[in-house]
Amino acid sequence: MINLFKREKDQWIFIYSPIMGKKMDITEVPDEVFSQKMVGDGVAIDPSEGRVTSPVEGEVIQIMDTKHAIVLKASNGIEMLIHIGIDTVKMKGEGFEVYTSPGDQVKVGDLLMTFELEKVREGAKSLVTPIVITNMEEITDLVKSMDEKDQWIMKAKIER
Amino acid sequence: MLEKLIVIKSETGLHARPAALIVKEAQKYRSKIALVKNDNEYSCKSIMNLLSSGARKDEEVLLRVSGEDEEAAFEALAKLLEGNLEA
Repeated sequence: MINLFKREKDQWIFIYSPIMGKKMDITEVPDEVFSQKMVGDGVAIDPSEGRVTSPVEGEVIQIMDTKHAIVLKASNGIEMLIHIGIDTVKMKGEGFEVYTSPGDQVKVGDLLMTFELEKVREGAKSLVTPIVITNMEEITDLVKSMDEKDQWIMKAKIER
Repeated sequence: MLEKLIVIKSETGLHARPAALIVKEAQKYRSKIALVKNDNEYSCKSIMNLLSSGARKDEEVLLRVSGEDEEAAFEALAKLLEGNLEA
């Protein structure tokens, strides 16, 4: 009975890795917009495959016209941006395929996008993909995992 | 309240870099600062909001600023939005 009415705000919310690959801290991303946390705090993945799945249960808010980035809002209120590669905006959607639309409800692991790994490697500055929490002002606690064994990349507590 | 129609010049619209630069500037002011597109208001103090606007190159948006430091905020944001946001 003790934890039955545990308050939601005290619980960790897990954000799972949306892409297979090597984890790194946002500060290591080769673009200062991300490394200086101008967009928000987060984790980046150096992808080993071109398949992006949902890191949370929630809603698709926006997909950039150029198909290289997606904005999601988790059902618990955490907002995030998944940005495939660095300077990929210049590729104008070439090599990217989107499998979801704004307003779609998604679950962890649902396919969101695919991209051609080799094409992005050649066309962009880097393949490194930041996953960034964009409403950091509401986050009260954030822990990142760089352990390759963990399927999650971040866990957070949000002020509700 | 101050308002001005602005044409987005950023080659790729309001993507991550321009949005981050706009938020960084907007957060220096106390005024309410927003972009209005299709009757929807998007706060310039939120990356998420700006990215959600999906504003494209050559699209017209309304810059709307209201608050105690609105004149300074309006001038700074208008200058930023009309300039080169790719830098």
